[in-house]
Amino acid sequence: CGNQDCFRLIVLGDSTVGKSCLLHRFTEGRFPGPLHSDPTVGVDFFSRLVEIEPGKRVKLQLWDTAGQERFRSITRSYYRNSVGGLLVFDITNRRSFEHVKDWLEEAKMHVQPFQIVFLLVGHKCDLVSQREVTREEAEKLSSAFGMKYIETSAKDATNVEESFTILTRDIYELVKKGEITIQDGWEGVKSGFVPNVVHSSEEAVKPRRQCIC
Amino acid sequence: MKSKKASSFHEFARNTSDAWDIGDDEDEDFSSSSSSSLQTLNSKVAKATAAQVLENHSKLRAKPERAPAAFSDVPTNCKVSKSSSEAQLSRTAEEACVRSPLQKQQSLPLRPVIPLVARISDQNASGAPPMTVREKTRLEKFRQLLSSHNTDLDELRKCSWPGVPREVRPVTWRLLSGYLPANMERRKLTLQRKREEYFGFIQQYYDSRNEEHHQDTYRQIHIDIPRTNPLIPLFQQPLVQEIFERILFIWAIRHPASGYVQGINDLVTPFFVVFLSEYVEEDVENFDVTNLSQDVLRSIEADSFWCMSKLLDGIQDNYTFAQPGIQKKVKALEELVSRIDEQVHNHFRKYEVEYLQFAFRWMNNLLMRELPLRCTIRLWDTYQSEPEGFSHFHLYVCAAFLIKWRKEILDEEDFQGLLMLLQNLPTIHWGNEEIGLLLAEAYRLKYMFADAPNHYRR
Repeated sequence: CGNQDCFRLIVLGDSTVGKSCLLHRFTEGRFPGPLHSDPTVGVDFFSRLVEIEPGKRVKLQLWDTAGQERFRSITRSYYRNSVGGLLVFDITNRRSFEHVKDWLEEAKMHVQPFQIVFLLVGHKCDLVSQREVTREEAEKLSSAFGMKYIETSAKDATNVEESFTILTRDIYELVKKGEITIQDGWEGVKSGFVPNVVHSSEEAVKPRRQCIC
Repeated sequence: MKSKKASSFHEFARNTSDAWDIGDDEDEDFSSSSSSSLQTLNSKVAKATAAQVLENHSKLRAKPERAPAAFSDVPTNCKVSKSSSEAQLSRTAEEACVRSPLQKQQSLPLRPVIPLVARISDQNASGAPPMTVREKTRLEKFRQLLSSHNTDLDELRKCSWPGVPREVRPVTWRLLSGYLPANMERRKLTLQRKREEYFGFIQQYYDSRNEEHHQDTYRQIHIDIPRTNPLIPLFQQPLVQEIFERILFIWAIRHPASGYVQGINDLVTPFFVVFLSEYVEEDVENFDVTNLSQDVLRSIEADSFWCMSKLLDGIQDNYTFAQPGIQKKVKALEELVSRIDEQVHNHFRKYEVEYLQFAFRWMNNLLMRELPLRCTIRLWDTYQSEPEGFSHFHLYVCAAFLIKWRKEILDEEDFQGLLMLLQNLPTIHWGNEEIGLLLAEAYRLKYMFADAPNHYRR
């Protein structure tokens, strides 16, 4: 990271909701096409730098998880070290929306004792005519869970940038307020130089831990 | 064990390659290759094992009347056609080159698109030499073995280890997998019976794919098939996709302990391509399967099903709950690497890279996502000739594969650089030669470490 802050985010959701395409769009600026990326097995890694306010850049380390149930025992181990998550469903696939609460439960159970800041993402919003989930019900669900909702399309790049930036900014605010603190042995947030974070005295005397990102 | 010098893999590989190459004067060939390959090993144990490896190699190469070309199974009769996927190959490579500075800068690579059958017949991307006398002799040896009343399977394994010639690969694979009996007279009937049995399953079970208890399985297969080998036109044909769906669905419901797991879809591909190649002279990746008779397609489908089943029998614990087979193998890989290349191992520790983060896929998809399809097919010649090739020898291949990139690994000095590298290893131009060297190194590791204390045991 050098002197950059570094957040680890995880991307969750059913198989084929478009998690990998969303990440390709975000990190490479291109859409591989749903038929051009083979199913993710286990977990894939991505990364990108985002600017959340003028002059303030945060390095994101992104874990793209496999949607299939059988990989759960592998993907689970990545929750713990994530500070934020995109909970993705496909607006043209009702089932994937219904599973959102299962994904959330799963994540909450395995992130203990830490917490994850989530953003609910309704993906494939370019496919308007095939929509099976209305914006209203998605918003209702997201507010019930206390998270924000955004609709994205990796195909035409709608809100892809925004979704990651919003989540990152929210996390950054929590870090600034001290509601999320950097801890040894936890990879969710690593700090290069966060002036507003209050460190415990013990931390302050220790040499700053080398950030690996 | 001291960590190896940067060049030692290449040194060893070159030596081994030499050791497997011709040379009428066997003894002389040996002493030179053994002495140089030993330069990097300094314990008594290492010497003993190396000698054993060489002895084994000598057995391997000594069997065919004339020593076989180590890694080439390039046939003469395959007209190398400029296919669209070949064009794709170079296009992808260009893209990769153009993209790489960007990647470096932003660390944002897309997994390279490498599952090309491209030039499957011309397996060495660096160009296919015409068939040499040695290769002809080798092919002759295979033909002899295959046509004998009772095929000597041990002998067939030995001959197949360094690669099976394309012309005889389909029948050799059927024999090596244990699907086809060694006895010539029983073959025809067995094939007929097994094919009927498979289509019996289809008749009995395939309709159940829409029933509630199988719905999820079928749905997952159905959405994965169009994403399997996405860039090869062959696999975009409806008939081919239906074949894959049937094979996977029947296998899944007959193996409820694992069911269908993503990754298994990839494992059908090599069998399908090899059995199809029996009927297609060239350009397999663009072949229109409607040109084949119903009977032929049914045979290809049934044979692919049975051979895939045999393969999966050996690695089913990779796909059962919590995937214990993979967990175990990734741990074993870590332990093995900590012994053979401490520097690489410590480098990972320093930057907090965990083996599971990159090697999970290596195990779950048997390196198929990391290598071009032509290389996987060549790799499977050997896996099917090794005892427990897919379940055990694969571990050593993974270790050799990792160490192959040690220089690139040690050059990366942060976590994300390492992960990006390991997820996108540049193998797109790999061919027989690279796989041959990889296998030689894996073989060496297997013999060096198979009996080492504390080391992974089956």
